[in-house]
Amino acid sequence: MLEQQLVNGLTLGLIYALIAVGYTMVYGVIELINFAHGEVYMFGAFLCMTFLTVFGAPLIVAVLLSMACCALMGVLLDVVAYRPLRNAPRLAALITAIGMSIFLQNLAMIIWGSRPLPFVKEALPAFFKVTALSFGDVNISWMQMTIYIVAISLMILLNVIITKTRTGTAMRALAQNRVCASLMGINVNRVIAFTFALGSGLGAMAGIMVSMFYNTMYPTMGYNAGVKAFAAAVLGGIGSVPGAMFGGVVLGIAETLGAGYVSSPYRDGVAYAIMILVIILRPSGLLGRAVTEKA
Amino acid sequence: MRGVTALLGPLKYLLLAAALAYPLTPVSDVYVLHVVVLVMVYMVLAMGLNILPGFCGLLDLGYVGFYGIGAYTAGLLTLNYDLSFWIIVPLAVLNGALWGIVLGAPTLRLVGDYFAIVTFGFSELVVLFLTNEIWLTRGPLGLPGIAPVSLDLSWLSRLLNPEWDWRYVFSGEEPYYYLGMAMVFMVYVVLRRVEDSRLGRAWLAIREDPMAAASTGVNLFAYKVIAFAVSTGIGALAGCFYARWAMFLSPDMFKFWESFLVLCMVVLGGLGNIRGALIGAVVLISLGEVLRVALPKFGLPAETRFLVYGLIMVLIMRFRPGGFFTAVAESTLASPLIIDLRRKLAARKTG
Repeated sequence: MLEQQLVNGLTLGLIYALIAVGYTMVYGVIELINFAHGEVYMFGAFLCMTFLTVFGAPLIVAVLLSMACCALMGVLLDVVAYRPLRNAPRLAALITAIGMSIFLQNLAMIIWGSRPLPFVKEALPAFFKVTALSFGDVNISWMQMTIYIVAISLMILLNVIITKTRTGTAMRALAQNRVCASLMGINVNRVIAFTFALGSGLGAMAGIMVSMFYNTMYPTMGYNAGVKAFAAAVLGGIGSVPGAMFGGVVLGIAETLGAGYVSSPYRDGVAYAIMILVIILRPSGLLGRAVTEKA
Repeated sequence: MRGVTALLGPLKYLLLAAALAYPLTPVSDVYVLHVVVLVMVYMVLAMGLNILPGFCGLLDLGYVGFYGIGAYTAGLLTLNYDLSFWIIVPLAVLNGALWGIVLGAPTLRLVGDYFAIVTFGFSELVVLFLTNEIWLTRGPLGLPGIAPVSLDLSWLSRLLNPEWDWRYVFSGEEPYYYLGMAMVFMVYVVLRRVEDSRLGRAWLAIREDPMAAASTGVNLFAYKVIAFAVSTGIGALAGCFYARWAMFLSPDMFKFWESFLVLCMVVLGGLGNIRGALIGAVVLISLGEVLRVALPKFGLPAETRFLVYGLIMVLIMRFRPGGFFTAVAESTLASPLIIDLRRKLAARKTG
């Protein structure tokens, strides 16, 4: 029982981690809680499903297309909604973010209806149902294995991008000091757009995997997942990418164990409670540096 | 805008008279009265929330949690102990303020976004509590059959004449219309007085420059806690009124969307502007009603109005980040770009 819970918790946690890096990167670079990030994740699932059913694309193509579309969506979000408010007060930017979130959620409702839709099961390879590993009575299906492998490799890839490439270096420079970075000749807006694209692409992948795993998707799915992923980012230390990954896994496991052993109805409460406690007791999170308001 | 305000001076009394007389006129309409009472509830909420971001510069994203606490306090006290509305009001307000202090005391030291996130998390926890503690709140089934407000003056009438029995149970929208008006008026007057008091001045000082305020001897923490208690108490008052007016409560009435709606009212009217909060409530609730009627005519579901709401908020933030009647210094709100634009426009006018 406990082992199976841990396996499920890890699945959930890796998915939270994928969403959380999107929050944490954007926050690191422009100090904005991108409220609409959860909606990008939701669009990822719906777009993938649409490519599969309407265009009959093979699974890999549909997934990659959906990630690309969501990356573009993230960039558009920045260009249309956040860029004009770059120097505006934080409240204005935050309200804009929430407004965009509501807008996108309802856009999805208009396009796909508000009822939950199933993922296209026929598109999934047959071996997904087969058990990959089993220890005693704990079973890990190939579907879960795929989620582990994809999530972990994406995160390794992200780390490489951030630490080894020029753009990644520019991102880190921006997170430290935007003005100084622009004086060093970094094209600030382009780097911010890249950050949005990267985070949104990963968020879309998370959305696709969640809808695949639970075989359902609905327009409001981004809200809950978004809040929890954000809680994960806070837990790891906002602005810290490894922190977000770590926080996601911890939160996913905590939530599954909390639901299994403490109280199932308060499943969502675990994330909120952890988030509030972390902020009050240790605002810098587990791996982050203390946040100070930049004037 | 100043011209409009000046014009409102003499018109104010005329409008007030018209508002007071409206339910008694033949054109009075139940639907209109209902919407007006709803607007009044949101007016109180918007005025109460305004204290935090508008007066103290604290961004609260979980205001609806306290509205819910007030509403459920009132609903449960009515159903379980059959207390009179007039006794419940102070109890609900105190309960709201108490929870405000419980949440505020550990969190008000936090900076910027963190404070916003904690308030948001708290309000979500309130909804979870209301949904899951079925022994207390009946959970998702909600609380039906809350008694309406009643005015029991039988004790007074018996003193005058043992035969008389003065009792009045509210029914229909009209009595709530007047009660709501009295409530809005009361909150408005109290807040206007507070605004010009030592307390209000201290709040404004905190908003404009916490460092400078602290250095001139303003106890930041104490004043912030007071602001929080006053604000949450007012939220609970609105909830209490709502419970006895709607006579039904359910947990999903108090979700995050409501917090955002009230925040939008405050921002639309202009942060820190009490009248602005009133105008914001009128505009957004009426807009919602108009959209609900108009959208189906264009073949769109009524739920599309949220999409329009979202867009409108984005546009307002884009072009008037200070709302329409802001009281906040330009330096803290408007983007440098907009200030620059205004200067250019002013220069063009004079030159």
